[in-house]
Amino acid sequence: MKISNILKAVTAGACLMVTTALSAQQPSAEQIILDAINHERDTSSYSVITMTIHRPDWQRSMTMKSWTKGMKKSLVRVIEPKKDAGSGNLLIDESMWSYAPKINRVIKLPSSMMNQSWMGSDFTNNDLAKADDIVDYYNHNLVDVREHNGKKLYVIESIPKDTAPVVWGKEIVEVREDRVMLGHKFYDQDGKLVKRLEVNEVKNMDGKLVASSIRMLNVEESEHWTEVKIEEARFGVDLPERIFTLSNLRNPRQGY
Amino acid sequence: MSVRLLLLLAWRNLWRHPRRTIIMLAAISLGVWMMLFTAAFMQGMVEQQVQDTISNLTGHVQIHNPKYRDDPAIENSMDIGLSKLDRVLEDPEVKQLSTRVRLPAVIASERETRGVTLVGIRPQNEAGLSFIADSITSGRYLTSSSDNGVIIGKALAEKLETDLGKRIVIMSQDSDNQVADRGFRIVGIYRAELQGTELAYAFTGLDTARAMLKMGEQVSEVSLVSDERENLDSLANRLRNKFPDLEVMTWKELLPLLVASVELYDAILIFWYLIIFIAMSFGLVNTLLMAVFERTREIGLFQALGMSPRFIILQILVESLILLLIGLVVGNLLSWITVISLSGGINLAAFSQGMEWVQMGSMLVPLLYMKDIITSNLLVIVLGLFASLYPAVRAARAVPVDAITRS
Repeated sequence: MKISNILKAVTAGACLMVTTALSAQQPSAEQIILDAINHERDTSSYSVITMTIHRPDWQRSMTMKSWTKGMKKSLVRVIEPKKDAGSGNLLIDESMWSYAPKINRVIKLPSSMMNQSWMGSDFTNNDLAKADDIVDYYNHNLVDVREHNGKKLYVIESIPKDTAPVVWGKEIVEVREDRVMLGHKFYDQDGKLVKRLEVNEVKNMDGKLVASSIRMLNVEESEHWTEVKIEEARFGVDLPERIFTLSNLRNPRQGY
Repeated sequence: MSVRLLLLLAWRNLWRHPRRTIIMLAAISLGVWMMLFTAAFMQGMVEQQVQDTISNLTGHVQIHNPKYRDDPAIENSMDIGLSKLDRVLEDPEVKQLSTRVRLPAVIASERETRGVTLVGIRPQNEAGLSFIADSITSGRYLTSSSDNGVIIGKALAEKLETDLGKRIVIMSQDSDNQVADRGFRIVGIYRAELQGTELAYAFTGLDTARAMLKMGEQVSEVSLVSDERENLDSLANRLRNKFPDLEVMTWKELLPLLVASVELYDAILIFWYLIIFIAMSFGLVNTLLMAVFERTREIGLFQALGMSPRFIILQILVESLILLLIGLVVGNLLSWITVISLSGGINLAAFSQGMEWVQMGSMLVPLLYMKDIITSNLLVIVLGLFASLYPAVRAARAVPVDAITRS
């Protein structure tokens, strides 16, 4: 599913009061997913993340800053290593622009590139851009309720609708009752696992629990994974609209 | 001296050495057979190439937005409503017509993403116009222009590691320049002569494609066929007058490379005839020279008795003509039999990868055209007689006294 993979994990949301009194009545599967997305994205966020791309014969890391506002706008900019510093992506709705300082050009990613890898990682551009279509594109079913660190863990099976722009046959999402997503598996249409997102660390950041270290594994090729760690995060920050413009993507101003 | 006598003399002279004559006849027949069979083989190749290309979504005449061929993008679509199409169909030379959306897109499965051309078609209209209607090998053909399924090529399905009944995602640019994407279920798999074709096109219903790309009533192209594929210029001109702001082109204008290669093949054939002829003519000249030398005494005697050198030349030439004619008849007959017996097609599957390079399928039906028969026969007779002039002139130059006294 084109779920928010990175952003979801990367940008957490303000602690929307997780009342302990989740009544005996189960929330609907859609609601659980929606809550998890809202929990992670919040109204706005700022974070510093480190992404490590691992391959059988090499591995590289890059550090990025990311700003998000609402469901529709986000900006990611690389700050380390030096050779990539300044390049970034701007996302507004489902449109995505990419800026490369070396050629000093902003390009709007055509549909042909949306399924390609994002910055060489195991995430695709679509994984970022289609962050919140999960509710419309799938039929969600609560298939299991398990126990995780003393809390309920909802296991949701999401089956894409026929016309949804989703290649997977089914996805399994695991969300804890405190709205932290703990796993996401992508199956092909024969029911074979293809990609797996696992959460290795859940940490309290800026006052709420978020998945602070996640790893996307390509199940069919060993030693292919991408790890994203949140170094620092703030939620519900006041962000000016001008951050999410093409001119700011090209010329960062005043710390954004 | 009567023609009858000339013929009789030439005929009898030929059969003085039956073995030599038969060998020569065999050489000529074989040469002609080689010429014609090669021609038939090549023409079969060319014909198949032309037919394949025309049925590969080309048709006989196409109508586009003038900018579409340079940049087949969604903004270069055209609005051609039903009333306009009726005006095309009014033309008595238009047999069938189809409107299409034909735009670049990206197709994605769980494991692969590839560029393709998304073709939105009216399924009924494509039958008899392009290959797709009768190329489905598994699953079904599209049922209507609002059919939600997609048909992809076998090779593409393999590359995408997907199969009949599964879902794939097609992405493209809609008319607002936004990313348009949706899932499609694969309802059919087609096979084409060329793997390249199988990889190139994904078909869905015209209305489905238009809805996905927010195109309204627009289409990318109109393709039509006439009763025959030559002499389309007047039809094209009539259509140009009806649609002055659209681009109307015949397949010959659309595919200049193909037309050029057809002409190239014709030129190559002429060279091929010449090469075979040159090999053949050495044998012919040699045989005739032998005959002349053997008959020096006889020729001298003829001359001494008052036969003019012209008739001696004629006599040798008639001999040569008889040889050539018999050889040609046998050769033509042989090639006709060969072509008839191969009319089911020659299976070149073993070389299919190489054939792919020259845009060819693996079945080849040799085609013998009248123009090739006439060209090769004429070439053999005219040049054959021309080559025979040398021995003939040698014979005529013999001085009677020398010739008779030579022992």
